Amino acid sequence: MLTYGRLYPAAMSLMAYGWATPAAIGIGLWLISRTSQIPLLHTTILTSAGIIWNLGVLIGTCGILIGDGQPFELLAFPSYATVILFVAFAMIAVWVLFTAWYARNNKFSLAQCFVILAFVSFPWLFCSANLVLLWHPIQASAQGVVAAWYFGGFNNLWLGAMAIGAMFYLIPKAVDRPIYSETLGQLSFWTFLLFAAWTGMARYIGGPFPAWLVSAGVVASVLALIPTFSIAINIHMTLHGQYGVAGWCPTVRFLAVALFSLVFAAVFAAINALPDVSAVTNFSQVPKAQQILGFYGFFSMVAFGAIYYILPRTYNWEWPCSSLIHWHFWLALAGIILGTVSAFLGGFLQGFALFDIANTFRSSLEFVTPFLFLSMLYSFLILASNVAFASQFVLMLLKSGKPKTGPTFLAEPIETSHEPAAV
Amino acid sequence: MNKLTTFIIAIVVVFGFSWVGLVAYPVSTLSHLQPLPDEDTGGAFPPTTSGLAVAGQKVYAANGCVHCHTQQVRFSPLSTDIAKNLGKRQSVARDYIRDHTPFFGSSRIGQDLTNYGVKETDANAIHRHLYEPRSVVEWSSMPSFRYLYNYRKIISQPSAQAIQGLTGPNAPKPGYEVVPSPEAQALVAYLLSLKQNYPLPESPEPTAK
Repeated sequence: MLTYGRLYPAAMSLMAYGWATPAAIGIGLWLISRTSQIPLLHTTILTSAGIIWNLGVLIGTCGILIGDGQPFELLAFPSYATVILFVAFAMIAVWVLFTAWYARNNKFSLAQCFVILAFVSFPWLFCSANLVLLWHPIQASAQGVVAAWYFGGFNNLWLGAMAIGAMFYLIPKAVDRPIYSETLGQLSFWTFLLFAAWTGMARYIGGPFPAWLVSAGVVASVLALIPTFSIAINIHMTLHGQYGVAGWCPTVRFLAVALFSLVFAAVFAAINALPDVSAVTNFSQVPKAQQILGFYGFFSMVAFGAIYYILPRTYNWEWPCSSLIHWHFWLALAGIILGTVSAFLGGFLQGFALFDIANTFRSSLEFVTPFLFLSMLYSFLILASNVAFASQFVLMLLKSGKPKTGPTFLAEPIETSHEPAAV
Repeated sequence: MNKLTTFIIAIVVVFGFSWVGLVAYPVSTLSHLQPLPDEDTGGAFPPTTSGLAVAGQKVYAANGCVHCHTQQVRFSPLSTDIAKNLGKRQSVARDYIRDHTPFFGSSRIGQDLTNYGVKETDANAIHRHLYEPRSVVEWSSMPSFRYLYNYRKIISQPSAQAIQGLTGPNAPKPGYEVVPSPEAQALVAYLLSLKQNYPLPESPEPTAK
């Protein structure tokens, strides 16, 4: 029973709802109370929401494996599981908005803006998409557009916004200087919100939809370079001259990789949205490469960096073992590079064979097969890196090792530069 | 007014713009497409599908076929789908109004199935393919869907539904047979129903140059 057709959506759903979303929720909750300068109150409700969420993920994953899965990307959970997920998330989102309502700062900081955006857009996306796709399905001819809107929105406005918010908070803290330009940050926020929501349709070029919807997606994917570059320039200027901190501070190291991935992912997405390119690459492995870069290279690296920063502060215990952080980082980086490059190269060969009239379908498969083996190797690298992270995490929860006087660094901080993060 | 209220109103307006375009618009227009009458036979385009084929859609969804197979023919000359004979014309929204869920797909690790029912009309051959793909296409990377079939001893008479022509290691032992489960029957009925070979005015067949 456990064929690829069931295991693949189960794995993708676990990545999206078992890892990325809970990580984003945790980071978001911490960021909103830090930036609003008020503690989270009545946390029992949040804890219960977390338990309900995890229950929903468990039920949904089992649902896919027993054959109740839905054929949408990132919406594969059966409807009985998504109801549970929605209830759990609504409880959390309301809490976040309460906290933001009573925020003590006069003007929302950039990080706060992005976090609020994420917590407003996700319930909206999730509820709308589930309503018309699963709970009360509309005619199939219209479902693809809504699914594409959700796919783009989930990646950009939920995970993306949260990761950008975390970057805008953590980078200035870690290098101890303010964000380079608040105005540039505001520009990136509003252009991001405007363009990123429309990008989902770009992948359906030539497909059975009104052409203007696809064109809007293509235009949005290209224009999304504006917020991406303004965010990247802002973060880069904040880090300028301080990249050395990445030598010893795990947070900055992970975030620096994420910054590069963000730029690469957006540039590739823009190129890949161009009609002549996507006619070739669309049904190949190339979109998978983009997914690895955006989901793992960008979002997950921000999440890891944020967790390395947040957990010692909330748990009053330093990370027990710096060599495990080393393993985690290098294996993840190797995995991201291998996964992206192999899916890109294999995808282009496959795409050209699928496109070229002289080539048969069989040759497209023969072109891509060796690269699929490399992709498997990528999965193993990521698995190993995550095992390193998970074991470190468990050691942390057990409060193993000796109490430390300072934070766990990857190397000795160099004296001449700024002190990293106030501990 | 609290600063959060103003901020959220601004988010709702900007984000709502995409919601109107990509949710409200398709719900109000694309989801109300009607079949077109067929003047010659009194039928309709796209034609109605059998109840068994509709049940087969659920099997198609449950087993995640959509993760490797697309069901869409993109227009020419942007794509070469028509030149590669995936279909005679572009797929349009109206082609999917009989489906419960759309299987547009996003990967072609497997072949496109838009017009599978036009190319393959033999139910037994499809059963053989699903039972052991490599017995039909040597280089296939498709997994076997054996679990949709019952391997059983022939009692008195062989079943009329049993798969014919299984050879080599896949052939049942003498006195045994491989019979499709109701799910497999439904899936095959659905695959046979995959045809976009009727005319639609919004998608004319491109004329040969």
